[in-house]
Amino acid sequence: MSKGTIFSIEEFAINDGPGIRTTVFLKGCPLRCAWCHNPEGLSPKPQIFHAMDGDEICGREVEAKDLAADLLKNREFFEMNGGGVTFTGGEPTMQADFLCEVMDLLPGVHKAIETSGYCKPEVFKKILDRLDLVLFDIKHTDPEQHRRWTGVDNAPILANLQTLKLSGKPFVIRVPLIPGVNDSLENMEATRDLVKDAPGLQRLELLRYHKTAGAKYPKVDMEYSPAFDTDAEPAVHDIFGNIKLLIL
Amino acid sequence: MLTKRIEQLKDFFFDRHHHSVRRTPEELGLDRLCDRFAADKVPAQMRGAILFEEMTKAEKPVIFDGELIVATRTITRVPSYFTEAEWEEIKSKHYLHENGFLSNISANYKDALAEGLEARKQRFEARKASADAEGKLFLESAVRSIAALQGLIAKYEACAREMGDSALAEVLASIRTEGAKGFREALQLLRFIHFGLWESGCYHNTLGRFDQYMYPYYKKDVESGRISKDEAWELLLSFFLACNKDSDLYPGMQQGDNGQSLVLGGRDEKGNTLFNELSAMCLEASYDLNLIDPKINLRVDRNTPLEIYKLGARLTKRGLGFPQYDNDDVVVPGLIRKGYSPEDANDYVVAACWEFIIPGKAMDIVNIGALSFAGLVSKSVDRLGQYKDFESYYASVDADIKEECKAIAAQYKNLYIAPAPLYSVFMDGTLERARDITLGAKYNNFGIHGTGIATAADSLAAIEKYVFDEKSVSVKDLQAALDANFEGWDELWHKLRFEAPKMGNDDDYADKLAQRLLASFDEGLAPLRNERGGCFRAGTGTAMYYIFHATCLKATPDGRKAGEVIPANYSPSMYTKHKGPVSVLKSFSKGDLARTINGGPLTIELDDTIFRNEENLEKLAMLIRSYVQLGGHQLQLNTLNKETLFDAKAHPEKHRNLIVRVWGWSGYFVELDECYQDHIINRIKFAV
Repeated sequence: MSKGTIFSIEEFAINDGPGIRTTVFLKGCPLRCAWCHNPEGLSPKPQIFHAMDGDEICGREVEAKDLAADLLKNREFFEMNGGGVTFTGGEPTMQADFLCEVMDLLPGVHKAIETSGYCKPEVFKKILDRLDLVLFDIKHTDPEQHRRWTGVDNAPILANLQTLKLSGKPFVIRVPLIPGVNDSLENMEATRDLVKDAPGLQRLELLRYHKTAGAKYPKVDMEYSPAFDTDAEPAVHDIFGNIKLLIL
Repeated sequence: MLTKRIEQLKDFFFDRHHHSVRRTPEELGLDRLCDRFAADKVPAQMRGAILFEEMTKAEKPVIFDGELIVATRTITRVPSYFTEAEWEEIKSKHYLHENGFLSNISANYKDALAEGLEARKQRFEARKASADAEGKLFLESAVRSIAALQGLIAKYEACAREMGDSALAEVLASIRTEGAKGFREALQLLRFIHFGLWESGCYHNTLGRFDQYMYPYYKKDVESGRISKDEAWELLLSFFLACNKDSDLYPGMQQGDNGQSLVLGGRDEKGNTLFNELSAMCLEASYDLNLIDPKINLRVDRNTPLEIYKLGARLTKRGLGFPQYDNDDVVVPGLIRKGYSPEDANDYVVAACWEFIIPGKAMDIVNIGALSFAGLVSKSVDRLGQYKDFESYYASVDADIKEECKAIAAQYKNLYIAPAPLYSVFMDGTLERARDITLGAKYNNFGIHGTGIATAADSLAAIEKYVFDEKSVSVKDLQAALDANFEGWDELWHKLRFEAPKMGNDDDYADKLAQRLLASFDEGLAPLRNERGGCFRAGTGTAMYYIFHATCLKATPDGRKAGEVIPANYSPSMYTKHKGPVSVLKSFSKGDLARTINGGPLTIELDDTIFRNEENLEKLAMLIRSYVQLGGHQLQLNTLNKETLFDAKAHPEKHRNLIVRVWGWSGYFVELDECYQDHIINRIKFAV
């Protein structure tokens, strides 16, 4: 039985898959996206969080079976409303063993993951096998730009995307729209072309950058100083053709 | 969509241009009518009729440009028909509910619209022959009241003719005597009846099952081509808008607390769904108008299609604090259990806030008093040392609740309600009995709110867990900490406030205690009868008592400090971060809520940012449906934006039209007293 570190469980998470869902936030992320709005999810360890009513510990270790039992309490609710559980983070694949163990304890529950896709191919496959839906981020198609804005290479991500496409599993592509970073016509077309023919693609979501992304940095003693223009409006290009598009 | 006409009228009323026609009773010499009544020893029953006659005579008919549904109050206040000395005398001998005049019941509009005023007046007249002296007096007061209302309609008719609006004049000529011929006539007649109820001094005048009693007129007119759907839509908007014209003059605890509840949907005795095309139009009209009245209730049950919940959710998104969702699966059996006939129970409507009441047939006083769960549990802590286990301690709390029920019930002796001849005309059985409605009806039950349930349940849970089960907190320490308002007891305070089991987290430890408290309440009231032979109904609402009961409450074992608020209605405590709305819904739908059939909604605050797309609206509809399917009785959702509220408090002038739900009603935020504003701001901290 393995333990994992989570930093939040959110009920009625309305933007993380179909129906009424509970979203579990797993702590720790290998990426350092300049626009990250969950800085408390970056470090894999519990840490101090300066909350409105005083300091608290953000993040706690939990056993897979306890987390699963907690989630199963709302199973009836999920079933009544075509919902389920979504794992996000941080980057949930960073705690792959724990994640798989929890998922194995949730038979019959619709399971989704929200991922950057940045993990080893065998890890991705192992997790994918257990999922009903994948919410997959494409932050940038250009390797150099990807490294610049997220700190990591996008080759493993693109490889896992290929695995996802071939698996036939339903998936949603999510693109954080960051002004001047990835909202160029060229990058959007490249993003579209990566997924447009995949049978599992349900839709593409554009998540517009919002200035409030920086709100939580002081609460975890971090500084928010992205090198892009946070006041600019990201460009939205009308190039997605038949792909179902959702702009959030 | 609003029509151009309605937009213009809405702006006109919102800018208060119609206030210029208002006069005070003093200017009109109506304020001292009571002196004449007293000097002439006019019986109270007749005073009601004469005052109404004088008011309607003094009314000036005003028809504003473009109005389709007319009648506007031009007199600011309805004076009492008693002198101060007489009123003191009455008060010394009687229990008076609120201001002593009739409030918070629901008329039988359905029959009134069908029959018409003239036929009804004649029936009341004819009944005199076989009535006793008191009966004759009542019937005469009723006849004169109807005639006065007809007189007012006649004045409007003349005014319409003078203005050259012959269509309106025809409508008015028709409804002065006859039953409603069509949709416009029905709306206009309803407007005058409702107007009359306010003008005769009654208040919290509800509107009942509007979509049910109006639908036949709508259907007939639209199907026969007498009016088009567009015309019907504009008429509906006109009526809704009219409900807002005079509402600042209606008495209530705060402006907006005026009881203009309107009920949609529901089912009949056979279980058939009654939601119709007009019901959907009402939800849309309310959405498009974006005004505080009428306050919409949506009756639903486990079989209600998701599409209907979605229509409701769309209005919820608007942020008006309604519709309030009422679950027929719980309410109907709950009413039957308290002695209402199945037919009547299925016909229930909602009184001013959330209390279930039967139109035409109930003289229930649904908000006569309140039991403070939090107060009783708080007091019981002083004697905690006497008990060796939790069960014997709870038995004492149970006994306290039952004693309190008796004590509350005993207060309401010698009830007096000032006679209401006009309202009596629109209630069932008054003609047969030849008695004013205020003297009683088929149902004469009293409703008692139950306040601070979460504070009480959380307190008991902390006591059970730490004092009796774990024995980690001594009785002495707990008492000392509460006496000190937790000064110097930080660690204990933190444990009680943040670590103890809480109602709202789907944790049976606390939820079971809430169910036990409600059961004790229901059992305590069950054997009691009021002087009219009616029963007492237990409720989960708080009304304004969430402010009253909290101010005199010391620190409580749930970690709440003295002076901190208690939640409004049937809701989780306000300083705990709960697991989320799903757990809250589950906690608050446990147990048999048919036992607390006086009503009182679970109230949840939603941040308006969740409504970013259509999909999320459907998810909200699912959430509401789940509460109903799990057996919750009543739900109220408030859509708010934190920044807006903070800004509105700081700059009220910029937010004149910001609407919020307060306890069982919606009002303009900037018109509220600060304590109510702050309570709302506090609630939003834990919004979804």
